[in-house]
Amino acid sequence: MVIELLTKRYPGMRAWLMQRLTALIMAVYSVMLFLRICVLQPDTYAAFLEFFQPTWFRIASWLFWISLSIHAWLGIRDVFKDYVPNMQVRSGLLKILVVLLWVYIAWASWLFLM
Amino acid sequence: MKFSIYRFNPDVDKKPYMQDYDVVLEDSDQMLLDALLRIKDLDDSLSLRKSCREGVCGSDSMNINGKNGLACVTKLSDLEEPVVLRPMPGLPVIRDLVVDMTQFFEHYNSVKPYLINNDAPPEAERLQSPEDRAKLDGLYECILCGACTTSCPSFWWNPETFVGPAGLMQAYRFMADSRDQALDERLENLEAPDRLYRCHNIMNCVDVCPKKLNPSLAIAKIKDLKFEQAREHKVIAKKKIEIKAI
Repeated sequence: MVIELLTKRYPGMRAWLMQRLTALIMAVYSVMLFLRICVLQPDTYAAFLEFFQPTWFRIASWLFWISLSIHAWLGIRDVFKDYVPNMQVRSGLLKILVVLLWVYIAWASWLFLM
Repeated sequence: MKFSIYRFNPDVDKKPYMQDYDVVLEDSDQMLLDALLRIKDLDDSLSLRKSCREGVCGSDSMNINGKNGLACVTKLSDLEEPVVLRPMPGLPVIRDLVVDMTQFFEHYNSVKPYLINNDAPPEAERLQSPEDRAKLDGLYECILCGACTTSCPSFWWNPETFVGPAGLMQAYRFMADSRDQALDERLENLEAPDRLYRCHNIMNCVDVCPKKLNPSLAIAKIKDLKFEQAREHKVIAKKKIEIKAI
């Protein structure tokens, strides 16, 4: 239902809602990660590999990363909007940010899904 | 008592400067405005706005030791010396402590701060239940001094697009009014990305409000209403699609 509200009809609410949705996903994942670390207590590299082995957890970690990227995009875009009044500089910075975030997403996808 | 006051007369000065004053106060001088008037007796070139002298008109809002407030309700005994006075930030300075509030009032006007009710006017007044009237508490008391809006970084960086805490609280004041019939229109009016959603809950507005109001809460309630409105639109849109399909 909420996804349907993230349309161009609500340009203002879309970003606001997206920021909260991604924050919620990250919060749930963080609690899950903390509990999982407490229970499994991975203390070696091999144990960490094992820790990230289950498919559901890798998908959850990937979702966390996607959420983090969207959240970062919205947040940093706001910061640039506030503090970089020169449109050309702002546009350049936003392009660098987009490339950087896509590189991170590709890297996370390779790590968690491959 | 020592004061350091922002001075700028665009007809004479090339750039603003701070002027120091050392004033002997009388026992009856309790509030900052009393001291300012004492200074004005010594130097009548100092410009400031004032009117009611009791925190009702909102004319004498200024930046007092780094925090926006009303000179008439700020106790001298609460202030550290030298008292540094500047005009409210984020608005063009006309002269000394007087700022041009045109932008502020344009935003205020843009939210249509009046009751919209298309029903025929009743013989007497439009009645409200005590419960509905209570919903306006904490909203109607705003005196439009501008202390909140001019202490908001989102307004500093986006003065032309972001309505600001004072304007948004007045928008909610009419949304919350049971006699108003334009809730949908008011919410649509705030949909543009920067008008409402530039608020990032920095809460300077709550910190400085001389009437102890909470514009941040009002803004959060508008966002809740916008979410509800969007959900309702979705339901209405679906119904229309269903009717077409039949």
